[in-house]
Amino acid sequence: MRLTFARKRKLKNAGLMLLNLPLMFIILLPLIYTLYISVMPADEIYDNVLIPSAISFDNYVRAFTNPAYSFLGYIKNSFIISLSVMLGQMFTCSLAAFAFSFLDFKGKKLLFILVLSTMMVPGEATIIANYLTVSRWGWLDSYQALILPYITSALGIFLLRQHYLTFPKELREASLLDGCTNMRFLYSVVFPLSKPALGALGAYVFLNTWNQYMWPLLVTNSDAYRTVQVGISMLYDIDAEALGLMMAGVVIVIVPSLAIFVFMQKQLINGLMAGAVKG
Amino acid sequence: MSLKTVSGNSQSNAMNKGSSGLYSRIEPYLLLLPAFAIFGMFLFYPFFRTIYLSFFLTDKFGNAKVFWNIRNYADLFKSASFWTSITVTVKFVLGVSIGSLLVGMITSLLTADEYPGATFAAGSYAMPVAIASAAASMAFRMIFHPTSGLVNNVFGTHINWLGSPEWALFSVTLITIWLQSGINFIFLSAGLRNVPKELYESASIDGANYFQKLFNITIPSISPTLFFQIVINIISSFQTFSQIKILTQGGPGDATNVIVHAIYRDAFFNFRFGTAAARSVILFVIILIVTLIQFKFEKRSVNY
Repeated sequence: MRLTFARKRKLKNAGLMLLNLPLMFIILLPLIYTLYISVMPADEIYDNVLIPSAISFDNYVRAFTNPAYSFLGYIKNSFIISLSVMLGQMFTCSLAAFAFSFLDFKGKKLLFILVLSTMMVPGEATIIANYLTVSRWGWLDSYQALILPYITSALGIFLLRQHYLTFPKELREASLLDGCTNMRFLYSVVFPLSKPALGALGAYVFLNTWNQYMWPLLVTNSDAYRTVQVGISMLYDIDAEALGLMMAGVVIVIVPSLAIFVFMQKQLINGLMAGAVKG
Repeated sequence: MSLKTVSGNSQSNAMNKGSSGLYSRIEPYLLLLPAFAIFGMFLFYPFFRTIYLSFFLTDKFGNAKVFWNIRNYADLFKSASFWTSITVTVKFVLGVSIGSLLVGMITSLLTADEYPGATFAAGSYAMPVAIASAAASMAFRMIFHPTSGLVNNVFGTHINWLGSPEWALFSVTLITIWLQSGINFIFLSAGLRNVPKELYESASIDGANYFQKLFNITIPSISPTLFFQIVINIISSFQTFSQIKILTQGGPGDATNVIVHAIYRDAFFNFRFGTAAARSVILFVIILIVTLIQFKFEKRSVNY
């Protein structure tokens, strides 16, 4: 009886594995295919060769060395912007979440509702007005235009507040009895205890900023401030024939996204889950 | 913070009233200031500015010039291309919402049990969530390439997937289903984990087969998650821009000119910021309606 049960289970597992294979293949295909085209010798892409005669990294070398493409610059810009937005959100959201969870003040409820209401406004609906503001200030082609609008979020405030609310009451009471100022409490008690929530926020925000396309497209005109996603999307306009180079570019900008996904999957998914309270 | 008022038996909500100094009274507002300054400048202000601009005729720098009353809206509602854009958007949103929900459902059901390889499969199914829509668009540009692309090579077809009016919308819908499948997988998997195992056990004892269990236990149990995920899919596909801009520029003609791309085209090619603002307000209203429907039905659709 037990044996047949175990055997049945094994059979079921094998069946599930088999069912998964074609689906996994389809989902992973865009990545596999991109990588495959990027290392194919150029003439073989156009001859529709199935198995390339050699593996060539020429496209990667070209992406980084050919003066027509400023990949290193795009990567530098995207890193600066993503890191700044991430740190900025950690800072502004920690402060706001602290006020909303530990302090009492007039208008607290209303202000919190105001924060949540920002989630109902799609960024695409305000993007034109934001573009006009930023261009009126002469901020087109600048880091501040790419960073400042994004250094706070309702998601971040909400996520950190949810975390702070799990702190035991005694923690706060003890610190008040010790005469600890709010700032010191925030710095030496709340921050160290918030690493999981800050990690989730950080992974989520860095990835989102790295992946951003529309806003950087609108506010950058020169290579000096262009980000990776805008950069690769323009490869087609520079040379529509250079398919291998395009795919090498895609691989290069996907690597950091995938790295965050693989190494910070738990944090990222926690961030996403918090993001979905949006609705 | 004076110790005197914070004696042992004080209520926690009375604590911050302990000190009456000016600083401690304004401290909460100081802490909120950075966040609200950014919200004010880049969210509340542009929100009202957009509504304001939607009632004006603007110059090509986006300055409000002539009060235009509701003519921007009236002109939109009278124009065929506006309705094309709405129709295209609705088709796209329906295709993406249903398609990505189905992919998410199938993949999450396939990885709900534990077996060797399930974790890797789950990682693969969640992966699209991390991929930028711009990067994915470029990858799919290659896949759909008319002469050297994978799809035409494998199927021996000669279809211009992204450049023909019959196929362009279908192709960008497929790409977006791929992009959205990851988040669907993640949420539906979380929903499936919360279905009580005992339900399946007792159904098995009663001799229920897989599909009976699926339709009588699994789907009713995760119906709140399904509903929630559909709403997320609808809201996020209404906001689609990158794929369209990169792959079809809204074309050919208006075949893929979804609402956000229409906003972009109005503002940056025609310099009609007033119309672009009116379209933005319409987008906001649509998303607001979807959200309100969600609020209204959220409690009712819960089915435990």
